[in-house]
Amino acid sequence: MATQRSAELPRRARTIRADRRRRDRADALSGYLLISPAMALLIVFILIPALWIFWLSFQRWDLISGTSDYIGTANFERLLLRDDVFRKAVWQTVYFVAGTVPVSMALGLLLAVLLNRAMPLRDFLRTVIFTPYVMPIVSTALIFSFIYHPDVGVLNAAFSALGLPKIDWLDSPQAIMPAIILYSIWQHTGYNTVIFLAGLSNLPPELDEAARVDGARAWTRFWEVTWPLLSPTTYFVLLINVVASFKVVQPILIFAGGVGGATSGGGGPDKAAETIGYYLYVQAFSFFHAGYAAAISVVLFLIILAITALQVGVFSRRVFYR
Amino acid sequence: MSTRGRLRALGYLPRYLVLIPFAGLFAFPFYWMLVISLGTLQSVFVFPPILYPLWHWDNYLAAVGVITDPSTGQYLHIPWLRYFLNTVVVATGTTALVLITSVLGGYAFASMAFPGKKLIFGLVLAVYMVPTEVTLVPNFIILANLHWIDSYQAQIVPFGASVFGIFLMRQFFLGLPNDLWEAAQLDGTGHFRFLWLIAAPLARPPMVTIGLFTFVAAWNAFLWPLIVTNSDSYRPVQVGLQAFSYADATNPVLHAAGSLIVTLPILIIFLVAQRQIVGGIAASGIRG
Repeated sequence: MATQRSAELPRRARTIRADRRRRDRADALSGYLLISPAMALLIVFILIPALWIFWLSFQRWDLISGTSDYIGTANFERLLLRDDVFRKAVWQTVYFVAGTVPVSMALGLLLAVLLNRAMPLRDFLRTVIFTPYVMPIVSTALIFSFIYHPDVGVLNAAFSALGLPKIDWLDSPQAIMPAIILYSIWQHTGYNTVIFLAGLSNLPPELDEAARVDGARAWTRFWEVTWPLLSPTTYFVLLINVVASFKVVQPILIFAGGVGGATSGGGGPDKAAETIGYYLYVQAFSFFHAGYAAAISVVLFLIILAITALQVGVFSRRVFYR
Repeated sequence: MSTRGRLRALGYLPRYLVLIPFAGLFAFPFYWMLVISLGTLQSVFVFPPILYPLWHWDNYLAAVGVITDPSTGQYLHIPWLRYFLNTVVVATGTTALVLITSVLGGYAFASMAFPGKKLIFGLVLAVYMVPTEVTLVPNFIILANLHWIDSYQAQIVPFGASVFGIFLMRQFFLGLPNDLWEAAQLDGTGHFRFLWLIAAPLARPPMVTIGLFTFVAAWNAFLWPLIVTNSDSYRPVQVGLQAFSYADATNPVLHAAGSLIVTLPILIIFLVAQRQIVGGIAASGIRG
């Protein structure tokens, strides 16, 4: 009896193990099957393109005829050393980021702090502030171009009511970028408000309560308690905002694309509204210089990766954790 | 209640003094869209501007070509219906595809064991770092080689998988009680049946969030459809509106009417579903 059983045990264990292996293999197979639609799309339309731009950037590639030849680093030499429009685009992009992000974040934080309390009209006010972010950019930008109209626009009406001179918002090199920045602040602040509101509602109320009991004023409580506790949210919002505004294309295209974009390349008067993302678009789809546009894509990609790495690095060291 | 209630209301007053003017500034462009769209060609070129609507509803009829454009005396021929149909097809198709890929992928990453799972999921998250602007050129070349330029699929398929969607679904499925799966296994139910009959029906809340996001983003899409469409047969409303405002510079009143027509559906969706949309953004920080 005993010998029989001991002889049988390993055999049974073997079949159980084989069974399990077969089941695991079937499981693994169905796992791959379930992720395959998503993975196929992500690989074909994001991963491969993201790697392909590095190869494309060494080609002269005409988007219409599809002809290409290898030209080494010529695209980068021209882009980084000899292209005045690109240099302007880099500076105007920095201008756009510096003009949009701080104001939109400060305003978003202010509105979130004020909204962070149960009170009448709270949801209504939050909805109103958030709405611009969800609306189609073409129609809202179109309305802003009426508001910016030099002769009959409501912004210039407000300016002259205040005794200020009328400004040719979208046709002057000095004014076009501020006009686009103002639009972007209007468009983006609601997003920041909602994220800050979420961050604020996650803070432990006891600390603020304790400071209040100690007699700290609202201003002190904000800077000494809320602001440091909120820093993970603030860094997150900063990263999202900087990256999003660094690659700005669509508002530029609508406000400064111009009807003659195909010939002049648009970008506003004196290219004052040229940004890196918009220049990429024009080089690719107005001039059909796919290789050159790929070189711009590479530079933009590397800048964005660097910004992300830098901010994540700072983030992990400087942020206050509870 | 009365004294304390009034005191509390008084305490809110400083907040309202800041919030209400700002809310006014944020809402003003929408009001202005309405005012211009209901004005006349003369009234919108008056300085200082007339700040209230003149209620010329017939502008909307002119914008859709039912009556003549008062500035030219001719009928506008803008295929709004076609544009709207195109947008609805693209937005619905993208939403359906994203929901399918997100539910399947999210479930596999949450509940199934397969070699390389961690690595592949890391790859998915890495893909999130790639800005769409950077991939415009290669994607155009890929679609051109597929002969997809000027088609619906060119506007749908490249956006058919969403890292945000996969991530959100995975989080949801990870939170499902394990008892459910164990009970299903005792009944001899496999993963596919379990997902179809039990897990997916439970996952309605994250699916609503993902669906709304995708739909709104697809409805508002502008840059990509501008690049990959070149005929009215496949142009979505956003591109149609932009073409209209460029091609016909004579009557801004009708542009405003067109803007409002294009904005209204998404405004209604947003107002109806704002809890899910705002909540979803707050939870994930996703950019729509």
